[in-house]
Amino acid sequence: MSHDTHHAPVASKLDLAPERSDLGLIRPDRTTGWRDWLTTVDHKKIGVLYGAFAMMYFLIGGVEALAIRTQLIRPDNDFVTARMYNQLFTMHGTTMIFLGVMPLSAAFFNFLVPLQIGARDVAFPRLNAFSLWTFVFGAFVLNASWLFEFGHLAGWFNSFDWHKALVYTDFAPANGWFSYAPLSGTFGQADASLQAPRFTGVGTDFWIIGIQVLGIASLAASFNFICTIINMRAKGMTMMRLPVFTWMTLVTSFLIILAFPAITVALIELMFDRQFGANFFNPSAGGQPVLWQHLFWIFGHPEVYILVLPAMGIVSEILPTFSGKALFGYPIIVFSGAVIGFLGFAVWSHHMFTTGLGPVPTAAFALLTMAIAVPTGVKIFNWIGTLWGGRIRFTPPMVLALGFIWMFMCGGFSGVMHSSAPADSQQQDSYFVIAHFHYVLLGGVLLGLMAGLYFWFPKIFGRMPNAPLAYIASGLVILGFNMAFGPMHYLGLAGMPRRTHTYHAGNGWETWNYVSTIGAYILGAGVFLAFMNLVWTAFKGKKCASDPWGGRTMEWSLPSPVPEYNFAQSPIIASRDAYFEDKHGGRRIGYENDGGNAGVHMPSQSWMPLLAGAGFLFIGLGMPMMSMHVPHAGWLVITGLTVLFVGIWLWALEGPGGYMLKTPVAPSSSGQPAPAATTSAH
Amino acid sequence: MFSRFFSRAGLFAAPFLALLIAGCSKADYTVRQSTLDPKGPVAQIQYDVFMDTVWLVVVLFALVGGLMVYAVIRFRSRPGDDTAPIIEEGHGNPLVEIGLITASIGALVFIAVPTLSAIWYTDDVPAESVPASKLSAWYPRLEAGKEVYAKPLEEQVLEIDVIGKQWWFRFEYPQLGLTNDAKHSVPNEMVIPRGKAVRINLRSEDVIHSFWIPKIAGKVDLMPGRKNHMWIQANEVGHYYGQCAEFCGDSHAYMLFRCEVVEPEEFAKWVQRQKSDAAPVAPNTKAEKGKELFGAKTCAMCHNISGHYGAGAFAPDLTHIASRKSLAGAWLDNRDPKAQLAKEQSTKNTEQSVEVDRATLKANLIKWIGSSGVSTGADGKPTKDVKPGNRMHYYKMFNVVSLTETHQSFTADELDCLAEYLLTLK
Repeated sequence: MSHDTHHAPVASKLDLAPERSDLGLIRPDRTTGWRDWLTTVDHKKIGVLYGAFAMMYFLIGGVEALAIRTQLIRPDNDFVTARMYNQLFTMHGTTMIFLGVMPLSAAFFNFLVPLQIGARDVAFPRLNAFSLWTFVFGAFVLNASWLFEFGHLAGWFNSFDWHKALVYTDFAPANGWFSYAPLSGTFGQADASLQAPRFTGVGTDFWIIGIQVLGIASLAASFNFICTIINMRAKGMTMMRLPVFTWMTLVTSFLIILAFPAITVALIELMFDRQFGANFFNPSAGGQPVLWQHLFWIFGHPEVYILVLPAMGIVSEILPTFSGKALFGYPIIVFSGAVIGFLGFAVWSHHMFTTGLGPVPTAAFALLTMAIAVPTGVKIFNWIGTLWGGRIRFTPPMVLALGFIWMFMCGGFSGVMHSSAPADSQQQDSYFVIAHFHYVLLGGVLLGLMAGLYFWFPKIFGRMPNAPLAYIASGLVILGFNMAFGPMHYLGLAGMPRRTHTYHAGNGWETWNYVSTIGAYILGAGVFLAFMNLVWTAFKGKKCASDPWGGRTMEWSLPSPVPEYNFAQSPIIASRDAYFEDKHGGRRIGYENDGGNAGVHMPSQSWMPLLAGAGFLFIGLGMPMMSMHVPHAGWLVITGLTVLFVGIWLWALEGPGGYMLKTPVAPSSSGQPAPAATTSAH
Repeated sequence: MFSRFFSRAGLFAAPFLALLIAGCSKADYTVRQSTLDPKGPVAQIQYDVFMDTVWLVVVLFALVGGLMVYAVIRFRSRPGDDTAPIIEEGHGNPLVEIGLITASIGALVFIAVPTLSAIWYTDDVPAESVPASKLSAWYPRLEAGKEVYAKPLEEQVLEIDVIGKQWWFRFEYPQLGLTNDAKHSVPNEMVIPRGKAVRINLRSEDVIHSFWIPKIAGKVDLMPGRKNHMWIQANEVGHYYGQCAEFCGDSHAYMLFRCEVVEPEEFAKWVQRQKSDAAPVAPNTKAEKGKELFGAKTCAMCHNISGHYGAGAFAPDLTHIASRKSLAGAWLDNRDPKAQLAKEQSTKNTEQSVEVDRATLKANLIKWIGSSGVSTGADGKPTKDVKPGNRMHYYKMFNVVSLTETHQSFTADELDCLAEYLLTLK
């Protein structure tokens, strides 16, 4: 039986009175146009919005990267000033991590997790919308620093009194994405207005509040996904039948809720140092700069796995699909993902091997860092095991997934080299490290995410990406990437330190910096082409059937694009890869007797998440403006807090809402599925 | 079919492979700051451990990567394939999994052992003499004729305090009386005797910096509020290049330093010279006018010149500035750059050094002082500067004294006199 005919295309809303809140406010439901996008609580639309913003910031971060590489193309270059260079690498790192990779992963979480577990939405749809808008405003605050910077360079502020009081006039952050205190903090004694002298200007304040707001967005989203995955699974979807991508979402969400509190505390302490004359990190008042490093890296290292695990989940979905074969060693892939997450919290000090930890902690963290290579290696072995004995079809997502394994393997191997602390003391803060983590995060994560985009775009938009264009773009990305970052291994070993805006001729670094920059341009062209292909696909791509790749997981059982209620009837799952087995003879999917004329209960849309999130915009702009001594900027912060609390209050009062939606039902398919003969007890 | 696939894959892989091989063979492993050209025991053991990891990784990469390439080629779908879907759950194979995990752990032990021994070896000069026999048991590679590993004794250790500031290093030799308090500190160019173990005490007076001479030792950070240490030893005479490796603000890229390794008798002479005061300036010369300017323009408030001006303790000591091979945090080279480069290229030895070139030094002095003076722009805009953000004009932050701009700007003639004066300070 074809699953396409199972779902008739039209759903209709049951005629009920519009939902009213306790205050008599009418909640928007089923609106269209831009109001729909602003008030939506549909996980699929939120996913698309996350993806669109992430891709925009990828391009911004990419432009920053190209400016960095242009500056380094030859020795003693003056394409940008020293400070502008520092601002560029700070914002490049921050943008790529917090505004590029994390939201793009969140886009996949949002779109896929409910579909893969047979649910109709996430556990808290409005909280999901709140996460999105908080992210959007936090990202804007961070990048608003550029607007101030350009305004300052253009001389717009020169006539203002507050401008004259600034000792340092960097408006975009120039403290690095790691923002080490005391460079990001204060020194000496605070004066009567509780302000101590600082090493950097208000850019750091933009950075602090921006990251803080983004952390709130990530925390809210993670609690949401944990609740969704634990509680909203369809009948029969046991934990050990969850698709690996959903498993990795769960592990990532736990990493976020355990890691972000550390950076939250650190940011609050740093903010207190800068704004209120506290002395957490101020060495001249007895503070400990090394405390910042511990707090930052106990967040920062799990953050690496927060970035990597979703891409691993994506690859673990793509490889079985195009090998025509179930994932090799499913339980051990899941388990190794969890072990990586666990050990990820035990290796943070390998970022601090040169800070004088002493031999015992250095040895302990060196050994733990070596240990984390084992579960990572296990994943690679099992991916190869998945390919083994399969029938491998080459498609754009598959080629990129194979590219992911290859590049990630290179990055993993240079990571093993870093784990040896004595060798690392030569590599730390050199270009060797830049090569290492770009192989992991760009060659690894970005290729994985691009593979995921090509893989699920037909599901999201019902349209196929252009394959030849995808191959060309992938080829350019892989070629440009290796050309840009391969030589950096040598540059690092030849002693070129990171975060230096220029270098003299005569150190032997000229040739490979030149090659690297040309590679970066090729890489930029490839990424741009790939994104253009995706944008074109979303609007103009060739329409395709619901299951164009021969998928294995539940999302492929649904029409493309997926209807707003996801499943007309809730599915009952009888095995892992139920959809694939169901397609090929065995009856592994049944349907509950819900939906149909009785209707599916849909959540109402809401303005409140947007309103509450907007509070962070005012807070985020107000705090740095206070640091700039802009008169009355404090009121902006108070306004923001008011908007935030009013938004949450109205949100609470508008009640759960909801309306019923009639869905088409094919009666023959409801009932229990036959348990799969090949399925064992788990 | 098979060969066609190979040729296609080869077509794709060939440029990468060619680039890699060309790169590795073209690359110069002895450049100025190369970590692959160790000249002392600490850098040597770090290099040896690094090479252990390289060999491990190369073998693993060939195995795992080869397996993956084989799987992709061998199991690609072909037109004549069986079309029946493969329906079976992937449990994996416990023996394969356990075997591979065990093998991975075994491979890691291969690098863990040398890593641990090197961590303790590089941590500090040992407090007591260790018999060579005992030493070679713990550091197995110490025997094989590599005397560079020989552990020095505590009483033979030379102590050097390294103080990091934005953006220069100050070196003090407390055992030899060369300290800032004694008005004889050494900025940016440290000198050590060949073959002697040196304990480096690392201190910072503002933000975090990092001390790194790639050919002599890996880096250790200078943490404000903490007392870090490391030890180094250089076994070959030469001029070594170091650089701050921790991001420390605007001019981080300009925070470099030099390490001159000399024979012990040469070192003793150097110490004596450093302890001497500046010679009197000949009357009625440009230099004498420069000396007056040095006081009048408030340079002397921060800079010390023993024998002439003794108030400054904050900025680099200038008593022997004319004998230094670099200026402005070792960013400006006072040797004739062409002569130096030519010598390095002709002898393939980056540690060789030519002497200070008077004309180059003078040009550098004028460039450095001139740009720093005029860059206190009234509009607050950053101006083109040798070292943006340097404290020559950001003294304001430290509330030393509030000076007006006129105290710091120089006419071309005044700059010339000042440079002439500084050139007398050998």
